[in-house]
Amino acid sequence: MIRVELSKQLRPRTFVALGALALFVVALTVALELTGAGRAEPVGDIPLLLVPTSSPFVLPIIALTSTMKFFLPLAVSVFAGEAVAGEARWGSLRYVLGRGVSRSRFLASKAAVAALLSLAAVALVPAVALAAGVAAAGWQALPAVDGTVRAVFPPAAALARLAIGTAYIGAGMTSIFAFAFFLSTVTARPLVAVAGGVGLTILSRVLNYDYLPGVAVLSPYLPNNDVDLWLHLFQQPAQTAGMLSFLVLQACYAGVFLGLAWWSFTRRDVLS
Amino acid sequence: MADEQAAIRVEGLVKRFPRGVTAVAGLDLAVERGQVVGLTGPNGCGKSVTLRVLLGLVRPTAGRAFLFGEPARPGARVLGRVGALVDGPGFVPHLSGLENLRLAWRLTGRPLAEAGLDSALEVAGLGEAIDRHYRTYSHGMRYRLGLAQALLGTPDLLLLDEPTTGLDPAHIREVRSAIGGVAARGGTVLLSSHLLAEVEEVCTHAAFMREGRLVAAGSVAELTGQADSLEAAYLALSPSPLAGEG
Repeated sequence: MIRVELSKQLRPRTFVALGALALFVVALTVALELTGAGRAEPVGDIPLLLVPTSSPFVLPIIALTSTMKFFLPLAVSVFAGEAVAGEARWGSLRYVLGRGVSRSRFLASKAAVAALLSLAAVALVPAVALAAGVAAAGWQALPAVDGTVRAVFPPAAALARLAIGTAYIGAGMTSIFAFAFFLSTVTARPLVAVAGGVGLTILSRVLNYDYLPGVAVLSPYLPNNDVDLWLHLFQQPAQTAGMLSFLVLQACYAGVFLGLAWWSFTRRDVLS
Repeated sequence: MADEQAAIRVEGLVKRFPRGVTAVAGLDLAVERGQVVGLTGPNGCGKSVTLRVLLGLVRPTAGRAFLFGEPARPGARVLGRVGALVDGPGFVPHLSGLENLRLAWRLTGRPLAEAGLDSALEVAGLGEAIDRHYRTYSHGMRYRLGLAQALLGTPDLLLLDEPTTGLDPAHIREVRSAIGGVAARGGTVLLSSHLLAEVEEVCTHAAFMREGRLVAAGSVAELTGQADSLEAAYLALSPSPLAGEG
């Protein structure tokens, strides 16, 4: 059943979305090469100073940093929001379920395929950027300056930290994914579900204490706020404070919204 | 034994929607195996909702519905014996007609050889267009693909909602011959239609619904009775004298 759902989603729009992400990374590479390749770039809130031409690992770090708070949540919202609502809008939901397919199994297949595409989007960004980085700088160690501390990560260590960071961002998309997927099960308009996921992302940005100090009390519960903590892995020694509680928060969002999605979808009337 | 059971049995079916709309208000209906039954009534009398209850898409507020003796509910195995075309066709727009039919069949988990894909394609009659994207199809082509999808796997029961709406005369004849084909091999058909002439021509039995209830049911001959036609008999059961009946 997952294969059936996957074959519905391997469509032009999916490739356009993934292609746009890849294109953004390539454009970012070109822009950095043209403007400041030899200059140290501050990345994240630490700030971490990285020189783009110094190592192939700089580009993936910058690419992930510039996509993790909007473009990646947008892609994830599209894949999760389209999942069930798209089927409802095509008018095919009643025929799929009318064949006696279990609603739970149907929902699980839809979630699995949307999650697979979301993870592909997250993995694509560092993969393309790393390829561009290797082409530009070769296979080099990563020098990073954090404040006054200068660290040099050998390629294997840099690659491992990049992989952990990518996995962390992937896990950090869970909240947005679960919310958009839940909306997808209650509306027949995919755009509403996609907009819901994007809206939650924006809300998370707006209520950030960097902009509004008064809402600092909310910040540990915002779905997308701490998705940047993986950058602290490139400090020496690596800082992991807050990462675990962020992952627990993601699991809570997933539990609540995927649970709600299942609860409502297995009970609701299909009138689309 | 389940196979001895009526193809459809509906007992005291009530469906009220959250905003207070009562779509079905205590419907009792039985369709025996091998019958071709025309379900007729004004717009909003609950025909489509009844078909959706049978398909496990809508949960009844009260009452029960059975297909071949098994409760009609979401995920019911018995739905594998049912083909349906309800509220128009619905397919994945960026896949071809053929890919859509294959995907629809794969959901059943049964081997492709049992799908009877060739005879379904014959009903669709789309020729070369079967390999074009569904979104490029005209209204009539979409409808025929929907009918072909309903006929996949030679179902024991066919549920059709307004099956000839918007089709040209040649295709209306094909739809009728498809219905006749299901009946000829002992299958059962429940179709909703506004067109009493169509019901009279295609169906062995008819059921009249109004405001969510059954008003009259029986063989076409019984219902027509002394009237000139089924339509005349239906109109004779005009709303006012029947308003109080259930």
